[in-house]
Amino acid sequence: MAVIQRIEELKSGALSAVAAAGSTAALEDVRVRFLGRSAEITEIKKSIGSLSPEDRKEVGRAANLASREIEEALRARTNELAAGEREARLRTEAVDVTLPGVPFPKGHLHPSMRVIDDVVDFFVGLGYRVAEGPEVETDYYNFTALNIPPEHPARSEHDTFFLDEGLVLRTHTSPVQIRTMLAQEPPVYVVCPGRTYRRDSDPTHTPMFHQIEGLAVDRGLTLGHLKGTLAAMARHVFGEELKVRLRPGYFQFTEPSVEMDLSCFVCGGNDPNCTLCKGAGWLEMLGAGMVDPAVLEEVGYDPEEYTGFAFGMGPDRMAMVKYGIPDLRLFFEGDLRFLRQF
Amino acid sequence: MRVPLSWLREYVDFDLSADELVELISLRVQEVDGVSRLGIREGEVVVGEVREFGPHPNADRLFVARVDLGGREVQIVAGAPNPYPGAKVPVVLPGSVMADGTKLGKAKLRGLESYGMMMSERELGISSDHGGILLLDDSFEVGRPVADYFPVSETVLEIDVFPNRPDLWGMIGVSRELAAVLGTDHRIPETSPGSGGEPTGAYGLRVEAEDLCPRYDLRRVSGVAPGSRAPLWMRQRLYASGMRPINAVVDATNYVMLETGQPIHAFDAEKVREGIVVRRAREGERITLLDGSTRALDEEVLLIADEEKGLVIAGVMGAEDAEVGDETTDVLVEVATFDGTNIMQTSQRLGLRTDASGRFERGLDPNMVGYAMDRVTALIASVCGGLVAEDTLSHYPEPVRPWRVPLRVERAELLLGIPVDSEEAAARLTRLGLSIEKENGRLSTTVPTFRRDLRREADLIEEVGRLMGLEKVPEMLPEISQPGGLTPSQQRLRRLRHVLADVGFAEALTYPFGPDRWLEVLGAGEDSAVRVQNPLSAEGKYLRTSILPGLLDAVARNRSFGARGAGLFEVGNTFEPHPPPEGVRGAAIRFRIAGETDRPGPDAGPDEYSLMGVREIPRVGLVLAGTVRPAGWNTPSFRAGFFEAKGIVERLVPGARFEPSERPFLHPGRSAVVRVGEAEVGWVGELHPEVAGRFELDGWPVAAFELNLGACEPDPEPRFEPFVNVPAVNRDLAVVVSSQVPIGDMLDTIEGLGSPILAEIRIFDVYEGPQVPEGHKSVALSFTFQAQETLTDEGVDAEIGRIAARLGEEFGATVRS
Ligand SMILES: [Zn+2]
Repeated sequence: MAVIQRIEELKSGALSAVAAAGSTAALEDVRVRFLGRSAEITEIKKSIGSLSPEDRKEVGRAANLASREIEEALRARTNELAAGEREARLRTEAVDVTLPGVPFPKGHLHPSMRVIDDVVDFFVGLGYRVAEGPEVETDYYNFTALNIPPEHPARSEHDTFFLDEGLVLRTHTSPVQIRTMLAQEPPVYVVCPGRTYRRDSDPTHTPMFHQIEGLAVDRGLTLGHLKGTLAAMARHVFGEELKVRLRPGYFQFTEPSVEMDLSCFVCGGNDPNCTLCKGAGWLEMLGAGMVDPAVLEEVGYDPEEYTGFAFGMGPDRMAMVKYGIPDLRLFFEGDLRFLRQF
Repeated sequence: MRVPLSWLREYVDFDLSADELVELISLRVQEVDGVSRLGIREGEVVVGEVREFGPHPNADRLFVARVDLGGREVQIVAGAPNPYPGAKVPVVLPGSVMADGTKLGKAKLRGLESYGMMMSERELGISSDHGGILLLDDSFEVGRPVADYFPVSETVLEIDVFPNRPDLWGMIGVSRELAAVLGTDHRIPETSPGSGGEPTGAYGLRVEAEDLCPRYDLRRVSGVAPGSRAPLWMRQRLYASGMRPINAVVDATNYVMLETGQPIHAFDAEKVREGIVVRRAREGERITLLDGSTRALDEEVLLIADEEKGLVIAGVMGAEDAEVGDETTDVLVEVATFDGTNIMQTSQRLGLRTDASGRFERGLDPNMVGYAMDRVTALIASVCGGLVAEDTLSHYPEPVRPWRVPLRVERAELLLGIPVDSEEAAARLTRLGLSIEKENGRLSTTVPTFRRDLRREADLIEEVGRLMGLEKVPEMLPEISQPGGLTPSQQRLRRLRHVLADVGFAEALTYPFGPDRWLEVLGAGEDSAVRVQNPLSAEGKYLRTSILPGLLDAVARNRSFGARGAGLFEVGNTFEPHPPPEGVRGAAIRFRIAGETDRPGPDAGPDEYSLMGVREIPRVGLVLAGTVRPAGWNTPSFRAGFFEAKGIVERLVPGARFEPSERPFLHPGRSAVVRVGEAEVGWVGELHPEVAGRFELDGWPVAAFELNLGACEPDPEPRFEPFVNVPAVNRDLAVVVSSQVPIGDMLDTIEGLGSPILAEIRIFDVYEGPQVPEGHKSVALSFTFQAQETLTDEGVDAEIGRIAARLGEEFGATVRS
């Protein structure tokens, strides 16, 4: 039958046109040409009603099959071409990946505070609490209660800032220890970080600086507990390889008193030209000792029942050593060229 | 304390290098601050005799000598003109290493070969004299090593002596200590009593101020050769110890001071009228001191006088009048102990700190006086000729006797954390000069009077511990039975600092001292700040009442170094005077000085807080200035402004309310007080341009805030709020209101409606301009509605209508279409 033959011709013509189309727009033209309202196959479908019932069935089936086949080819070819076109479009959207990203602001915590936070976290982990006290302190708490009565020569070494009569800017955080002991019964395990003040100004002394002191009072505490605690702290802050050593020291409110040195974590004591330890191999870092029995008595603890240890360190100096900062005065100038590095 | 090792070796035997000694002393005694070297480090110095001496043919300032070194003659070029044929000189041979580390070769100087070098006193480490070649006296034998006469190579340790150990300020004490460390003996110079001299008793001694002078001894040395110079070895040791040679008598007193730690004074006896009087100075009495200054004294000053006039400010410094000089032939030697506190106060008040005053301040042992007197008078007689009197005038009414201190070995073990053997402890302490008895298993010690620091058991335990070796102490951790942790407020503070850093600002720490300017700028009176009595400078007269000025100074500093802006914050205290109530000033002083407070009770007095007199307020302050963050290629810049600062406050103090407020240092139209509830907790605002100018910040926008730390609750603990899976509905509403209407009030009003479905409001535009009537603004609000069931358009419209109506009633708002 000629009509059937014509349908086959149209179909193969359409399929080759689909295959030849180079863009989705050209495909659309193909679709209109072969399946549109005035396309020949459409016309054939419209004229089916005028055919004999036998032909009607056969021609209808062939026309529908041909339409479906063409649509299928169109769809496949459209997908194929659209994907390619999308890829081409994406390529035109390329950015310069070497340009910097959107900057999210980065802030800075002060190096002394970083060390203080670090040390405090260590002691909190051991079971210590953090005690605080006023920076304006009474003469009594700052000196007398710490075994430094009026007229004592040690007072002149404190370079104290004086305020109203009987008031000073605390020269150390030790009064916090006294206030803590007066306020509670043993066992006591506290660290006391804070600002302290001395009337002094040069590259290694500033009128304000920080201290962290610590105090432990309990039954059976020894110099060994002091050494172990501070050694563990030092390793936490400066590195696991660190060694420590005790030397005799002198402090008004401890007896025995010791100084603790840390092995140089830059050269390990192996470089005579080391800029940090100056070849000594050791860094002076902590003063400490067993709480003087007179101090325990002053706060109403029985020195026969309880012993304790106390220690003090300078987080500013620890930060200098840890981060390699040469001049203490940099710490308190608010200079962003300094602060931004932390 | 400078310790020349050649001197130390005279008193104690040890076989250690300087480095080993430094380590040992540092670990067992006290820290060694430094090691210095004098003379030559290596090589040889021999006695030479100058044969010929004349000018260098090729150089104006050089000389050339032929020197006999004992059997051979060499040519030496010199820079000093003082040698002459027949003079004996020290010659350092080629190959020797000098103190500064340079090695001496056979040098050619301006064409002439020089075999070694003739040495000055400084090059030999005898004194700082570099004016000429040292000329040796006839007792030196040509060709012999100079080291046979005095050390040509000296190592000096600088020991940092703790203030409670005045016994270590003398070579004898140091040698005792070293012997105790080494477990060996030490020896001290022998002395002899006087004989044959004119009697001391020809003079009187009267101690009037007994309370300030526990002991005063006087002895006479007569027939002294006038103008004597101390022998080389003595001058060399004085120099190595950091003192300057003066004359033989004074040098001998200083030498014995270096030996014993006991300062000694010598008077020219002929200038002393009748006798020595130890008394308080009279009010207004004047004295001209050796340093040339004239001082007006008062009754707090202890004076050594004769019957006519003051001779010495006791323990501090002498007057010119009765000092030993070149004509002196008759000497009165004073060896005494004074009240340390009084000496310290006198030297502080007069601004005179001397070697002697520093020693007396610490409190010396009166029992050292006898030995020091015997030693110094014999030494003067031996180096200057003369005879020592047989009698001594002595005032020592209450002799100090040794005291007993018990020592329990188990207590030592407890404190030290190491096993302590009682025999070893006893042996160690004995070496330090203590005598030990055993009483039913415990030790009873008797402490010599030169160890005034050993009063209690703990003091002895310290000695035992350090001499046994602190390296024996093990590393242990206590078993702590309490949980550690930060208090809620400490945790909040941590969070606050981290929030401020996380959003991009830098934590600064500034000095809390400020000048008058700070108060002026803040519009505060002098009385509103705590005054520092002894500031380092006028820039630090007051304790800060606000964190702001310190941060502004810091910002200005950054600007001066080229920064385009800054965002700095600080957490710290501010200080306010809080004078104690009327009539309790006395109680306040007692509390501050003596720690006394009234016991709590019905009639209890003021509490500690009001007696302190100063309130400390912990605060956080932040300053934004200039371009805090510059624009990037695809990001806008972040500049300082009111709303930037306010946004941070809102993060730190959720629920804060802001009310317009005027403060003299803030922009009058761009500042607000921050409230929580009714309480004022801080302020936020842009800086007044006038104030910015005073801080060198002209032309920069500056915004800041300061908040009480207690009010801050940054990122509070979250609480879960249930939600339903029903879509939310967003709806916008723009209204026109008078420009005067505070938008915050509009938001409060909307919240006040208590809408059950209103979940969120956001303001997305505020507009004033030609599109709205003059004096009005358009406010665009975006609402999010959320309910348990899906919302209908009618329901949402009704709610919008209710809001618009309420805004209309309250603020005259009209809906903008
Ligand atoms: Zn090192």
